[in-house]
Amino acid sequence: MKISRRSFLAGMAAAGAATVVPKGSAAWAASNAGTLGTLIDLTLCDGCPDRQTPACVSACRSKNAGRFPEPDPKMLKDYWPQPFHEDWSGRREVTSRLTPYNWTFVQKVTVEHEGEARSVAIPRRCMHCDNPPCVKLCPFGTLKQDKSGATWIDPAACFGGAKCRTVCPWNVPQRQAGVGIYTWLDPLPVGGGVMFKCDLCRDSLAEGEAPACMSACPKKAMTIGPRQQIFAAARKKAEEIGGYLYGLDEHGGTSTVYISPVPFEALDEAIVQAADDPSRAMRLHDPQNMVEKHSNLAKAALIAPVAGIVGAFAATVARKEKGDE
Amino acid sequence: MSDKVMRHPLSVRLIHWSVALSGLVLIFSGFGNMPMYQRYNVVKLPGLFWAGNYEIQLVIHYIAAVVFGAAVLFHIVFHLRRREFAAWPKRGDLAESWHIVKAMIRKEEEPPHGKFLAEQRLAYLAFVVTSAILLVTGLVKVYKNTGVVILDPTFLMIVTSVHTGATMIFLFLVVAHLGAFVVKANRPLLPSMFTGRVDREYAERRHPRWKV
Repeated sequence: MKISRRSFLAGMAAAGAATVVPKGSAAWAASNAGTLGTLIDLTLCDGCPDRQTPACVSACRSKNAGRFPEPDPKMLKDYWPQPFHEDWSGRREVTSRLTPYNWTFVQKVTVEHEGEARSVAIPRRCMHCDNPPCVKLCPFGTLKQDKSGATWIDPAACFGGAKCRTVCPWNVPQRQAGVGIYTWLDPLPVGGGVMFKCDLCRDSLAEGEAPACMSACPKKAMTIGPRQQIFAAARKKAEEIGGYLYGLDEHGGTSTVYISPVPFEALDEAIVQAADDPSRAMRLHDPQNMVEKHSNLAKAALIAPVAGIVGAFAATVARKEKGDE
Repeated sequence: MSDKVMRHPLSVRLIHWSVALSGLVLIFSGFGNMPMYQRYNVVKLPGLFWAGNYEIQLVIHYIAAVVFGAAVLFHIVFHLRRREFAAWPKRGDLAESWHIVKAMIRKEEEPPHGKFLAEQRLAYLAFVVTSAILLVTGLVKVYKNTGVVILDPTFLMIVTSVHTGATMIFLFLVVAHLGAFVVKANRPLLPSMFTGRVDREYAERRHPRWKV
């Protein structure tokens, strides 16, 4: 699927204009953070019931197959002193969750809404947050964010410490042992592999193409375009059908918006109930953004040196005046 | 005449300890912002169960950064305005440092010192440069966390690496700074960082060029 060249260029031009002004509100983020927005319409997605693997998942896997990790078997050893390591290389076929070999999947839940049982299929992948803690807090600067809003991991520089997964409220990045620069430091007990996740097919975006999952969707349930346009369309449709939106304000705003015929609280509850381990379920909750939560402290740290300078002037002037008296 | 002389007035001591304590907290919370404490079982040490929580470490790092940033800039501007440059390196300090080290090893007489030893002035410069690098790179890292700020990814990666590298140098300097007190001749200086004063006899003997 081609993004309209004009609309795509408009989006990229806005990327240039997108400045680095601290955000005041979620609404500000929604209009300025990234230039591209994606819409996942749960009223259209049926989870591809006639296929073994949903079309979006298959398309993502085949497009990114060349980027999947090929671990060195000698490096598939525990992260000393911990008695475990994370190796998905023998379970590459798993498509029911995010793994280093599966960057999108479809959750299927049944919920009761207005007295009616509704089956809902929910394609899941990285939300590409406006203020992403994974990018902001990576201790090696390995996670990056484009002006388009797409966030991605540089596999050449990732140590696989998995902090990004811990600070992500949806546990999106997934670790594979036995690959990456930590292998060069063996036998030093540092690093754990490389983290993998959806990068919104940023290489395709650069060519004016839509991400593979969207192009492959037989129901056209996923769209991408200039953020304002996409979000406006989502709001309009939600109003028309009495639907619900997710992703506009959650976690301080993201570049992904879901539209659903049933409330997201109900979907979230069903996801948690169906999970083997609810603490690891990829939820549809309303998480607080850690970076945003403490942004006032960040601002305090930013102006502290100025306070020191003012204090020094005050102290020296006071002493001088005292000496003059 | 008092048998003690003033070496570090209260303002200097306050700034020294503000930088020292916030610096140590910054090092601890800086490593705590890396995926280390959980993996290497630091969290299992008594009282440190919280150390693997990135959010707590982030908040601690910010608060310590406020103290560190304010104290370092206060120190620089305060002494610039008072034209106090006794700790600043002078020409020939490298050679003189070498002489001092040789004299200590051979138990020979040291050259006469001013208020600070040449090696103290060099160590001070190293601290200033390292702190400046940490501050500038830290401020960039903090700036991107003030809101929806997208900086050039490569620039940010370089800044992050330099910040981490400078932390290692800072840690080395702290160890070397504390290690200086292993040398017996330096120990009479220690009380001045608490009381501000050193023995007059010591000052006149080892620091004859210091106009006390």
